[in-house]
Amino acid sequence: MAFIFYASSIVAVVATLLTITRRNAIHALLYLVVSLLAIAIDFYVMGAPFVAALELIIYAGAIMVLFVFVVMMLNIGEHAAETELDVFRPRAWLGPGLLAAVLLAEVARLVSLQSGAYTGSTEISSKQVAVALFGPYVIGVELASLLLTAGLVGAYHLGRRAVSREEEIRGVDTDESRAVSRGAAVSAGAGRSSHAA
Amino acid sequence: MLAEAFTYTTPRTEEIIRLLPELILSAAGTFMMVLIPLAKDRYPSLFGNFSIVAILSAIAASLFAFTNPGTAFSDLMVVDGFATFFRVLVLSVGITTVLSSYRFLHREGTDPGEFHALILFSLAGQCLMVSANSLIMIFIGLEISSIATYILCGYLRDDKRANESALKYFLLGSFATAFFLYGIAIVYGATGSVALTDIRRVLISAASPPVAMIGIAIALMLVGILFKISAAPFQVWAPDVYQGAPTPVTSFMSAGPKAAAFAIFLRIFMTAFQSDAHGWAPLVWLSALLSMTIGNFGALLQNNIKRIMAYSSIAHAGYVLVALAACSEIGTAAAMFYLAAYACMNIGMFAVVVHLSGKGERHLSIEDFAGLGVTQPVTAALLTVLILSLIGVPLTGGFFGKFYIFKAALQSNLVWLTVLGLLNSAVASYYYLRILVMMYMREPGEVTSNIEPLPFTLQAALFLPVLGTFILGVFPGALINFANHSAALK
Repeated sequence: MAFIFYASSIVAVVATLLTITRRNAIHALLYLVVSLLAIAIDFYVMGAPFVAALELIIYAGAIMVLFVFVVMMLNIGEHAAETELDVFRPRAWLGPGLLAAVLLAEVARLVSLQSGAYTGSTEISSKQVAVALFGPYVIGVELASLLLTAGLVGAYHLGRRAVSREEEIRGVDTDESRAVSRGAAVSAGAGRSSHAA
Repeated sequence: MLAEAFTYTTPRTEEIIRLLPELILSAAGTFMMVLIPLAKDRYPSLFGNFSIVAILSAIAASLFAFTNPGTAFSDLMVVDGFATFFRVLVLSVGITTVLSSYRFLHREGTDPGEFHALILFSLAGQCLMVSANSLIMIFIGLEISSIATYILCGYLRDDKRANESALKYFLLGSFATAFFLYGIAIVYGATGSVALTDIRRVLISAASPPVAMIGIAIALMLVGILFKISAAPFQVWAPDVYQGAPTPVTSFMSAGPKAAAFAIFLRIFMTAFQSDAHGWAPLVWLSALLSMTIGNFGALLQNNIKRIMAYSSIAHAGYVLVALAACSEIGTAAAMFYLAAYACMNIGMFAVVVHLSGKGERHLSIEDFAGLGVTQPVTAALLTVLILSLIGVPLTGGFFGKFYIFKAALQSNLVWLTVLGLLNSAVASYYYLRILVMMYMREPGEVTSNIEPLPFTLQAALFLPVLGTFILGVFPGALINFANHSAALK
């Protein structure tokens, strides 16, 4: 099914280009979701349904929700209501909707095919992935947990509230002092994220 | 293609022993988190002492693992002379970092527990990087090391400079790592393997090697690695990050993670991509020249000691790249020797900066060194040794480091690069000598007149590197012989 592969690849490239050219963060995120969905279809067509499912659950699901959540959190202010109204205007969702419709058509086509949905010679099942991960690569999986532990220790340290504030005497030689002017949105986010990150 | 033939086998004892340093470090780091609520207020120096014991055991474990070298865990790791050399190097850097951070953490009133846990995790990542034999393991090690270092840069939560430093390093570093990962993906696509030895075999024996794909992959991986070693043209982050990070962390970053990044550079390019050396060596040549020039000329304009050391670090990365551009075993050995010598001189320098800068790290100007030779003659004398080593004066480790590097470059007919490198060393001596002039030819200023003597831990963090510089400068034979023996990466 080379046609479906190339079709969703084009969708992915277009959606990614639109992601990085949108000015509104929410609009960009909508395109990013579409891009991730298209890549999931690519994975599926190449014979990796497990990776396709992970792409959907982890990226398009969990991580995007986190993104949207953070963007919404940082938008609290006078403009928040306007921004949220903006999200519901057709201009915002028409583009991502069209691209997603293309993907939906592809999925429908894939579902209607009884066999031969894969371009690769074989389908890699989740069992095979598991055997590889917990067989020869088990040490890599274990060490990835060390990576998460290091991140956790950092989050624990950076996330705690500071007892004393010494910003006045230390607040020299940063970009803030070098910069001529800074947008209000930037400083609103920066002040909060140093404690919430 | 994944086959059904994979079966799980319990790791053999020698495999566990080959992973022992990483196991010790990660167990100690995790145990530290348990210690924090128990001992935080009562025994603040317990964390540092515990880290030193853990790192010393890891060094012992590295040496013990080397008594029976070989691969482990389905060839994902390899313990050889090269890996052992770099393991001991990064762990020694870790010890001196811990030594120079006791007083610092106390002075800045921040928690010692997480700091040392992160140092241990970062060291575990670096040990893993240098002994990895597969791109996957290299990547995991690189990420463990980097994540811990990003957080260490911003460890002083309320310091805006530290926040800026950590955020810049994190964003740019993640971007660079993404390039590296993309390169790995393309290599896997082109050769069907992530094991370095398999990639080498495919590239040498293939009837028509995938030249274009491998070329793109090499370029992408170079971007990632050159960023990590702060070499031009990916060096822009270094001065700001080095300046904003807490000084012990700056010292750690400039020696440990950098040496580990050079180790993976050498291992990947001298093993997997050796047959394509005619393609990547010119790029390394160019980067070496750019790094030396930008680093040395950039440092001339600086007045902040941490920024000077950051530019100097870029320049020294350039010198090591000269050895890499030689693409030979002596080049590899010269790079190993130089990284050891460089770690010594840098860590000693930063130990003095930690002390001199004072609470809140306010005294970082080069003028703050004025008259140190009068008020603290011993410290100034030791610092002089390190500065002479950074310049490359005979009888110091820096001299032999440069000597071996330029010798390797000449043997590979890199005459122009050698000449330009030597000219660069001459330029560099100007800004190093400025520090000496400040220390000995100026009246003591406000900072140096009121300076307290160095506490014991900082003395150790200064004496040990000076000792190392002397040993490498007077008896370089032992280390260069070991490096020559372990430089054959196959």
